[in-house]
Amino acid sequence: MLWWLQPLILALLVGALCPLSGTLLLVQRRLFQANLISHAVLPGLALAVALRLDPGVGGVVSGVAGALLAEQLSRGDRGSDGGDEAVLNTVLAGFLGLGVLLIPLLHIRVDLEAVLFGDLLAAGASDLVRTLVAFAAVLLLLGLRYRQLVYLGVDPMGAAAAGLPVRRLRLLLTLVTAFTVVSAMSAVGVVLVIALMGAPALLALTGALSLRQALVRSAALGLVISGAGFGLAIQPAINLPPGPLIGVLCMGLLPLAALRRR
Amino acid sequence: MALVVSNLSVGRNGDQVLDAVSFSLESGSLTALVGPNGAGKSTLLQAIAGQLPIGSGTVELHGATLLPALARRELALMPQRGEIAWDFPITVRELVDLGRLVAARPGCCDVDAALQRVGLVGLADRRLDQLSGGQQQRALLARTLVQPAQILLLDEPCAAIDPPSRTALLKVMGQLRDAGLTLLVSSHDWGLDLDAYDRVLVLDRTVLADGTPGQVRQALGDLRVGNHCCG
Repeated sequence: MLWWLQPLILALLVGALCPLSGTLLLVQRRLFQANLISHAVLPGLALAVALRLDPGVGGVVSGVAGALLAEQLSRGDRGSDGGDEAVLNTVLAGFLGLGVLLIPLLHIRVDLEAVLFGDLLAAGASDLVRTLVAFAAVLLLLGLRYRQLVYLGVDPMGAAAAGLPVRRLRLLLTLVTAFTVVSAMSAVGVVLVIALMGAPALLALTGALSLRQALVRSAALGLVISGAGFGLAIQPAINLPPGPLIGVLCMGLLPLAALRRR
Repeated sequence: MALVVSNLSVGRNGDQVLDAVSFSLESGSLTALVGPNGAGKSTLLQAIAGQLPIGSGTVELHGATLLPALARRELALMPQRGEIAWDFPITVRELVDLGRLVAARPGCCDVDAALQRVGLVGLADRRLDQLSGGQQQRALLARTLVQPAQILLLDEPCAAIDPPSRTALLKVMGQLRDAGLTLLVSSHDWGLDLDAYDRVLVLDRTVLADGTPGQVRQALGDLRVGNHCCG
């Protein structure tokens, strides 16, 4: 009777969580990292399935490894000639390719479509727990390091000069991003998660007086979008997969964001 | 002397940016650091603030070698405006308050007092990107003032702002000097604004001239460096 309740709760949680992480990344100019991590989770996920471990744990390890590898390889001053972008995109594609190759090599079965685009209606209790853990990680980071993250966002060089643990902060940010991406896997999939991380954050940031205000606004927006997407998707007359529908609704926020930024 | 720099040499990416730079700053003075682009002004300020490794030479504060931890407590560096994300969602008050994250000590770091000093009390709750360029620079200066430092290193605070804002900022810097702070201010100015300073250091990898604004203009004329180097 209440078959929709657990998927709805998950959709709402993911809907609030993804924009929180997205807003943090956007103000640090690191949203690309979410895209990178979302593609880099696949090899770890495949390995975890083969080793009969929690796929989420494998995904987090793999996603963080991809982000760290990209950061290591792109360190240096190649920003002006697009070198860093080339490195990031190549690592992204490389990890995705590796994940796809591992599936036949390890003789495992992974529903790639569900991983990439989500399968909210098939989500279980473990998905809910994973999302709650990710939520707790983001809130903990915000609770303990809020002012340092603000300093780092406004004045990155000044933050380093002031003795703030810049590398540790960025690593923590990478870690919670990986948690977020993996937890959103069952709801919207690793490919569509970027829309839920970016669009509500972009709209929430326009005119916000503080990062705190932007975070609250983006989470509320994400919650509404995600809930609406799910509600629409399960209507008998519509009957579409919720993940892609949520992605499309996020795109609808962009004209609003553009209008507000004028 | 508050600060003594002796034979300071600094390299960056294999290039010698500063070569045997020597000068000293008196307590309660306002000194301009002028020179062409690439002269090493920002490098010098960052090296003094302990943010860059020194190749050779020394920086001493009240007779003691200036190590990074001491530099963070005693010196405050205001960065160039290009290093700040002005569109970050933050009010003026919150930006100024961030200065308290740096080596805060009990009894110091009054945000309201800093805002009062730079004349931004009325705009304290405004979002940073709603201010003019000159007001933004004053907000950044207020963040520097919140730090418990006696020596302020300001990296081109007057760049890219209109003349009235520049005049207002120079006035604030003069008031800070009168209040006993020591200021070293990098600048491209070579006009009448330079007369607002007690002293001028001309830098181009090394110190080319050092004296009052009038003396330095005379010395530069003799060296045939010309005014073009300083904008």
